[in-house]
Parts: sequence; structure tokens; C-alpha cells
Amino acid sequence: MKKYLRISVFAVLILALVVTFAIAGCKTGTESVKATAKTMKAADVTIGFSVWTMEFTFFQNVEKGVKDACAALGFKYTMLDQKSDATQMVQDMNTLVNQKVSGIVSTPVDPGAMGPAVQKARDAGIPVVCADIGKSGPVNALIVSDNFKGGGLAAEFLANLFPDPAATIFGLGNCKPQWTYARQRGEGFKAKADELTYNIQSDIIVQNPSAEGGYDTMQQMMSAAPDIKGAFFVSGREAVGAANYVKSQNKDIKIVGYNGDPEEFIAIRDGILSATILQQPYVIGYKAVETLKEILVDGKSYENVEIPAEVKLVTPENLDQIAKEVMDSTGNSAFGE
Amino acid sequence: MDDIKIVLTPKQKAGSWLGSFGLIAILLIIFGFFSLTLRGTYFNWGNIKNMVSFSSYVGIGAIGMTFCIMTGNFDISIGSMLALAGVLGASAALKLGGIVGVIVTIVVAALLGLLNGLFVTKLKIPAFITTLGMLFIFRALAYIYTNNNPQYITDRFWIFLGNGSFLGLPFPIFIMGLCYLIAFFMLRKAPFGRYILAVGTNSRAASLSGINVENVKILVFTLIGVFVGVSAVLNGSMLGAANPGMMGDGYEFQVITAVVLGGTALAGGSGSLGGTLLAALIVVFLKTGMSNAQVNSYWQQVATGVVLIVAVSLNKLKFWLLGQAQ
Amino acid sequence: MVKFLKLYEKIGIFILIVAASIFLAIVSPNFRNMDTILSIIMQGSYGAIIAFGMTFAITSGGFDLSVEAVMGLTSVIIAMLIPSLGFAGSIIIAVLASCFVGFLNGILITKVGISPLITTLSMQVILRGASLIITNGRQVVISQKSFMSIGASKAFGFLPMPIIYMAVLFAIFYIILNQTTFGRHVAASGSNEQAAKMSGLNISLIKTVVYILVAFSASIVGVIRTSQTLIGIPTMAPGFTLNVLTIAILGGTSLAGGRGNLIGTLFAGIFISMIYYGLNLLNVQIFYQMLAVGITLLFALFIDGLRMKYLETAKIKGIRV
Repeated sequence: MKKYLRISVFAVLILALVVTFAIAGCKTGTESVKATAKTMKAADVTIGFSVWTMEFTFFQNVEKGVKDACAALGFKYTMLDQKSDATQMVQDMNTLVNQKVSGIVSTPVDPGAMGPAVQKARDAGIPVVCADIGKSGPVNALIVSDNFKGGGLAAEFLANLFPDPAATIFGLGNCKPQWTYARQRGEGFKAKADELTYNIQSDIIVQNPSAEGGYDTMQQMMSAAPDIKGAFFVSGREAVGAANYVKSQNKDIKIVGYNGDPEEFIAIRDGILSATILQQPYVIGYKAVETLKEILVDGKSYENVEIPAEVKLVTPENLDQIAKEVMDSTGNSAFGE
Repeated sequence: MDDIKIVLTPKQKAGSWLGSFGLIAILLIIFGFFSLTLRGTYFNWGNIKNMVSFSSYVGIGAIGMTFCIMTGNFDISIGSMLALAGVLGASAALKLGGIVGVIVTIVVAALLGLLNGLFVTKLKIPAFITTLGMLFIFRALAYIYTNNNPQYITDRFWIFLGNGSFLGLPFPIFIMGLCYLIAFFMLRKAPFGRYILAVGTNSRAASLSGINVENVKILVFTLIGVFVGVSAVLNGSMLGAANPGMMGDGYEFQVITAVVLGGTALAGGSGSLGGTLLAALIVVFLKTGMSNAQVNSYWQQVATGVVLIVAVSLNKLKFWLLGQAQ
Repeated sequence: MVKFLKLYEKIGIFILIVAASIFLAIVSPNFRNMDTILSIIMQGSYGAIIAFGMTFAITSGGFDLSVEAVMGLTSVIIAMLIPSLGFAGSIIIAVLASCFVGFLNGILITKVGISPLITTLSMQVILRGASLIITNGRQVVISQKSFMSIGASKAFGFLPMPIIYMAVLFAIFYIILNQTTFGRHVAASGSNEQAAKMSGLNISLIKTVVYILVAFSASIVGVIRTSQTLIGIPTMAPGFTLNVLTIAILGGTSLAGGRGNLIGTLFAGIFISMIYYGLNLLNVQIFYQMLAVGITLLFALFIDGLRMKYLETAKIKGIRV
């Protein structure tokens, strides 16, 4: 026991010595970033896209946007799937740097955990643009939906339906607190509701981020606040589930979702869901690549710029018009058909 | 030893070969396959360094788990353990510096492991259940302590551990190597190693032979904590943050998969640290290869599951060929 | 002490529920009405039904980690097939497919000899990938709205169907486990596989049927949930497996195998639902809810451990228990 204790201590001391020398000798690169000074030819550009997951329509659309933009601009394209794992996200970014891509687009599963990885990319002269979600570290740009405003739009919509604040109760189906940027939707909703003096009696975090989770949460909401008139769910999938629960109880509670996934469009068309806030994942992805083009080919400089992407309120009234707009701009059906 | 010639039947020869080289063969086949099909993007020194470096996440944590499963126990709380130790260490680092933060992370994790060990041995609650309860409790504590805010890690020392290089190799590779060396030493040279296997094979017999079974178990659980703590340090460094909700998500399954894939039997009593290391590498090499090959993500999932089953089947094949009872 | 523990063995989890009910009733006015109570039981039924199957699996000495993926598979099969096969046809195919998955699990575990952990974990990953491939990543909306009645309607105007399904399935599983030879064989193979084999039991057959039962129970819940949301969801119920495992264990089914406590599972399912639902009513933060589950688990099994210790030594001493 004593012998191997000594060896372990010895080993740890050597390790400490090594680390000290290494830190003293090496630069891991801190605040300085290498600005990409030279410009490139489009044909030489490879864009690496690191996506959160391909399991949901939103990201499938971001990917389409990135892919189409690359095709339109003559860039080469490669994609790595983080599979909703933050450690994989960091490894993938390192992999892309290693593959010497020209620029990186990322929809990070955990934006707070990309700091060192982005630093490595910038040290290698590779610009990084985050598409939606969020960012940390020295990214060049972030293109993100104005989630806060979107939440506010939902509150306004519900307020318009029920003009009397004193007699109206709303509910909020929130997301888990670690999704910092999606949380803004709830924050925006609450802020606008406060401003218009409406009462949000039930603010529940949806445990299971899937349609059946919204179904269950709506059940809980209606138990907690039986006179509830309307509710906003920060994730569209959950909103559709919630709306279905309302329907099954033959009540008339107005549910608003967020995202604009095909199942939401169909639910609005069928009169089950009252409204949703449409994000534009395709446009976000497309714009991300265009921004990289400006950096790489045009030689423009971007540092930590936030570019907001518009969100739109979709209601039964403007449903068809918006669907047409989506089809025109992206070539995809908003109903997923 | 006299010269006793052991004649193996052809079946047994095949089984023996499979046992010694099976995992290495699988790793080389995977590496070779992707290198041939992807060429430059996969088969380059930078990528290999990257893959090995990231294997340390599961690889180091799996060391403690290998010991644990060898004694016939189980710890399903390590993901939450990783998170709780990580956030406590990270928040300590914000006030007291990186070195303190790193030490706090490892010490906290070790203490959590110790807690598990005490519950299992003194209170006699089965390991699976204890650690299942702790899975919830540790995670809840991580949320509560940080009020659900990620703890960012910016200290130079800490960031270096996961991201820096020495002699051209990423630092995590050294740390992983060191951990495995220490572990091999404990297993082969120290009496502790024999005790673990004895307890795993037959704890009553071990107890009757004079081994303090309880202490061995407590030590094993504490070791899980220590190695998980080291993993937490490296993970926090690479990610630059400790997120109470996401850190260590799914970790327990990745680690247990690596241990079982590496040939350590769930019943206890036999196992291989080398196998664990190879298994951790195999999983990362495979996933990276499929990703780089732009294989459809959904098919990647299917492939990962199938490969796992095939790999374990080969292990079974080995035992069958050797004519051993498993 | 022995008397207390013997009593606890029978009604332990029940006591917990009563205690929790009293607590919640005092603290939250919303808890006291019938609607809420039925809702809590209904939300507990999803986990409880699958936990019945899981109880079988644990009793036979294994467990099944692929249940949430089986739910997803059922969901997408139904959604894709309803347009052509109608309600009954698509449900039958989906459930059969899930039973086949259970069959595969059983074969891999018994014939190839892979541990239940790796088999079902791998199957989980494979099925999730397969479900996504089937729908090409989409969530498929079911347009025949009347499908909703399967999971969302109420019998006699007030009793939600899922509760009825839970009761029926409970009765079926209970009878199988406790009243049939097969059930005794399942317990036998779980408590001492070698002895069971030597007594002539066909372990492979027994265990395979068990895994088919688990998949079956997961599939039923998949049908219910798909009907409620009217969407075929390939990624249904992420993380639900842990919930189900917790329910089965909290219910008192020993992981050592050989003793399955279905009554305990039933009450544990309701209890867990009370924690999550009830504490939500009280606006207790999710983190504390998780803490509550963990502590309950440890407490319940600490008592279980005490029980085993005292009752076993009492038996050895010859005291009648």
C-alpha cells in the first residue's frame, strides 16, 4: 500500500510540474482572435454545419437553408450532428477545425459550452456563425429569432381575444430553465402580459418536451386554474398536445404555440390550435451562410454581431397567406405535405 | 513450472485469439474502414488526436465503473455526480481560482461516491436502487445550488487541462494515460485488485477468507467518484462551462456500455481495464467515422445499436469457443 | 419491529400515498376535487401500465430499457398506417410489431446470451433511429380526429379511459403473475435460474414471453398517447424509461428477482404522479420534485432493507413470521 501510494504521489507531482511548464510555455489563446484578413474564392470554400439534432423539423429546415445557400453560392458543404449532446458538440467543432473547413455554422445544443471550441476555431482562422439558439465565446455573428418579442406577440394575441384583463386568466407552458434562449419566449410573454395587466396564474415547466407532455401539462394547468382562458406554450409541439387536451374536454381555451412546425399549421387549419409564432429556420440557416460568405469572400469583418430574425404571428386569418410565403421563400410546404 | 503442454482444440484456439485480440481487431477494422473510405478527413493525425482526446470523457469515468462492476455492484448516478461535482468546482473556481476549483471537483465527486458506498454497505440498500435515488438527488442539488445557471469556466489553468497540448498531444490524453496506469497498478500489483475480484466472484467466500468486504466496496464507490471527478474536470474544461441540467446527461449509459463492451461481466468477478479503454475508443472512433461519412443521422443511431449488439455477441462467441461457462 | 415490518410489506407504499394525499389535500384546495384526483391517477396510468410489464421483467431477473422507443415505434406505425388500414388495423399491426421487438429482445437475451442491459439499450437506440427513418424525421399528424376517443374519452361521463385500461391490464398481469403456473415459473427463473433450469423449466421460453409482455405494455401506452395527441411521434417520451424503472422499484419489486409486487407498482405509479402533479399544483420547483422522488426511493428501500434484515433473522431464529 505504501509503495503504490508513493508512486502515485510521485506521478501527480510530475504531472503538476508538466502542467506548470506547459502553461508557461504554451499559448492556449485567450481574448485575441485571428481576424480572417484574406479573401477566398467561392469554389474553395467549405462550410461545416454543426447541428443540434436532426430529429425535429425546425433543425431539418435550418439544415435545408444552409445546404441551399451553399449550393447557391458554390460552396462545399459538410454536416455533423451533435445528437443533442454538448460534449459531442465540442468534439464536432474540433473535428471541423481539423478538417480545415473555411467557415462554421452552428446550432449549438448548449450555447454556454462552446467557448473553448469557438476559440480554437478562431485561432485557426475559421469564422463561426451561430444560427439560432445562442452563443458564447468569440463568435463572429449570431442570427437568432427575436424570442422575447415573439413571446410578447403571443401575449398580445391572447389579450386581443379577451379584452378584460381583470376577468381573464392565462397560463404559460414554459421550458426547462437551462434552455436560456427559449426561455426568453416565456419572459417576453410574461412581460407583455404584465404590461397589459393580465394575470398568468399558472406557470408550469413542461416536463416532457413532446406533444404528450403538453397534453399532460395542460391537464395540470386546468386543474390548477379551472377558469383559465388562454395559454402559451413556448414549444409548438407541446402546444398542439395541449390544444388536443382542451378539445377532448370540450372546452374553449385558446392555445398559442411557438415555432411554426407543420403539425401546428395543420392544427390551426383544423381549428384546434388558435395561433402560433412562426420562426424562420430556413431563412436563419440561409442567412448564416450568407454572412460567412461576406466574411470569407467579401472580406467584411463581423465580431459578435447579433442579427435578429423576424418572427410572425400566425392565426387562422393569415394562415394561407403565410403558408404561401413559406412556400415561395423556401420551396417547402408549411404543412409538411 | 514444469512444461505442461496445453493442447487447445481449434475452437479454443479461435476463442483464445478472439479474447486477446478481439477488441483491438474491432478497433483496427473500424479505423481501417473509415480511413479507406474517408481518406484525408478521417485518416489524419489531428483527427486521431481529437478522437482519443474525447474518448477520455467516457474512458476515465469508466475506470471506476469497471472496478465497481467487477465487485458485482452498479452505479447509475454518475451522470448526476459529474454535474454536481462540476458545478460546485466551477463555482469554487470563480472565487478561488482554477487549481482550487479542480481539487474541489475531484474531492466533491469522491465524497459523493463515498456517500453511495456508505449507503450500499451500511444501510444495505441494493446498489442499483441507491444510486438510482442519488441520480435524482444529486441532479436536484446541482440545479438548486446554481439556481439553474451554468457555471462558466474561464480560469487559464483549468481551461488548459482540457484544451492544451504538450509535446504535440492534447493534454487529456496524458491524463487518461496516467489514470489508466494508476488503475492498472492498483488492479495488478496492489492487493486491492485481488480483493475486488474476490468480492465480485463470491463475496461470502471473500469475507470468510478475511477480506473486509464492506471496506472494499466503500473504496470502490469512492474510486468511482474520484475518476468521475477527473472526467468532470476535463469535460468542464473542454466545454468551458458546467451546466447543471445538461452536464453528464446520458453519461451513465455511455460508461456502462464501455465497461460491458470491454468484456467486464455484469455479474462481477472478471473484467478488463484494457477492454474498457478499447471499448471507449471503439465507440468514439465509430461515431466519428459515421458522422464524417455524412451517414444519415437516423441510420447512425441504428448502426450504433447494431454494432453494440454485434460486439457483445463476439464476446459471447469467444466464451463459447473456449468452452467456458459464462 | 417484526410486526411493523410485516405490516409494512403489505401496505407500505399505500401508507405513503395516504400520507401524501392528506398533505396535499390540506395544502392545496385544487387537490380536493374529483376531477383533479382522477387526473392524477390518469397521468400515473401511463407509467404504471408499462411498469406492470417492467415488474415482470425485473421478477424474471432482468429489465427492459427499450420501452420509450417501443412507444415511439408504435406511434409512428399507427400514424403511417391509419390512412390505409383504419384504426383497428393500424393498432393491431403496431402492437404486433412491438411484440416482435419484445421477441427479439428475448431471443438476444436468452439464446445469444447478451445481458438485458446491452440488449435493451441497443434496441432502444435502434428503434428510435428506425422510427425516425419511417417518418423521415417528421411528426405525422393523424387527420381522423375520432381516433382521439381511444385515449381521451371518459367512461360513464367522468372516468378517463386510461384509468380503465390500467385497471384491466393490472387485473390481467396480476392474474398471470400470481395465479398461473407461468407466473410462478417467471418468479422461479428470476430468483434462482440454475435451480429453475434443473427443475426442467424452459427458461428461454419463459423469459422471451416476459419481454414480449413488456413490449406489449409499452405499446399499449403508445397507442393511448398517440390517440390523445393525434400525432405519430418518433421521439415520444424521452427519458420515460427512468420514470418507469423508478415506479417498478418503488413498488417493492426486488431487483434480485423472484418477487414481483404488482400492487406495489400500481400504487407507486399513482404516488409518483402525485409528486409531480401535486407539487406542480403547489408551484414547487421541478428541482425539489426530483429531490422528493430520490428521497422517497431511498426511504422506501431503506425500510425494505430493514425488513429483509429483521424478517430473515427472525425466520432463522425460528420466530413465526
